[in-house]
Amino acid sequence: MNLTLLALLCLALTLGCYYGSKALYRRKQRVWFAPILLAPLLILVTVVVLKIPLTSYFQYTHWLAALLAPATIAFAVPIYRERQLIKQYPITLSIGVIVGLLLGLLTSWLLMQLTTMPTELSNSLMVRSVSTPFAIEATGAFGGIPELTAMLVLLTGIMGMLICEPLFRVANIRSAVAKGIALGASAHGAGAAKASEIGRQEGVIASLTMIFTGIAMVLMAPLFASVIG
Amino acid sequence: MPLSFSAIQSKLGKLFLLLTQVSFFCLFAYSCQQLASWLHSPLPGSVIGLAILLLLLCGKVIPEKAVNSGAAWLIGDLLLFFIPPVVAVLKYEDILEQYGVTLISSMLAASCLVLLGTAFTVDRLFNFERRLKLQKQRKRAQLLRAPVKIAPTHTVSGVPL
Repeated sequence: MNLTLLALLCLALTLGCYYGSKALYRRKQRVWFAPILLAPLLILVTVVVLKIPLTSYFQYTHWLAALLAPATIAFAVPIYRERQLIKQYPITLSIGVIVGLLLGLLTSWLLMQLTTMPTELSNSLMVRSVSTPFAIEATGAFGGIPELTAMLVLLTGIMGMLICEPLFRVANIRSAVAKGIALGASAHGAGAAKASEIGRQEGVIASLTMIFTGIAMVLMAPLFASVIG
Repeated sequence: MPLSFSAIQSKLGKLFLLLTQVSFFCLFAYSCQQLASWLHSPLPGSVIGLAILLLLLCGKVIPEKAVNSGAAWLIGDLLLFFIPPVVAVLKYEDILEQYGVTLISSMLAASCLVLLGTAFTVDRLFNFERRLKLQKQRKRAQLLRAPVKIAPTHTVSGVPL
């Protein structure tokens, strides 16, 4: 097949799977229709089954990944919009961000010590709890690999979405602030999406936490890496 | 149902606005990356850009509505942008096949820890910060020597937290 055509079809496949599962999820709120789960899965299966060469897949779709940087900048808008909320609970928000970030790093470090995974994999784990654009920026400091990091971040998000509600019930966590911060700090964008399903307040707080943990991770990564390293 | 002319017009207008704003974000992101590499900045360009945009918004140099719809699309469809890097993981197929089960089970345990630990800390801390606020308000009320009604500080925009 013509390679340019194949590359264009790959872009169409990516857009189709994403917007398709998004529409499906809006109609039927089932976890397995969630775009974070269904879209990457469908695309991965298609690429593997049809044996599409990765260079063709990336010829045009890498432009989508290039939008990660503008998306990071766009996070300034929700921070600005919710400045009142930030002023209202500065201590809770900042300590929540710090605790979430440190716990994420600590658990990753523990996994590194307890399991025998290859270093490129365990290094990529370090930044797993922050949003992808920040994670990809920060992973280099720990010796992680962007592609592996992107996948581990995705997996972390899916897990956070799935386990949060039973965990909150068992641990008797009721306040919207606690739920929002925990979801934003442990499961980034997916957690924020889940938090918005629980309630508007939870969603806003989770998004803010996600943004601040992301920024903090990028800022602190060289320091943490030298402490661990 | 055929769309009326004005409906189409307003839809096109919105699309145009979105495209303009997204292009602005892209251009801005590109210049910030150039700036970061030119300055040999340890901070990535995107984080510098975030800080600059936030300052511009706070200083009312850029009105919020000038970037609103572009930002909403970029953030709302963030997942789309990291699907390609996830597909790139196929380069590491063999590692993942070998360590997949270990990876998923250990990550699940770690995620539980982070979620619970953060939620617990914040839950306690939130009650503390709320009490602190109430105390401050009571003190102010005493100073004024007037029975001031204590506003429920635990609500944000009217929604009980």
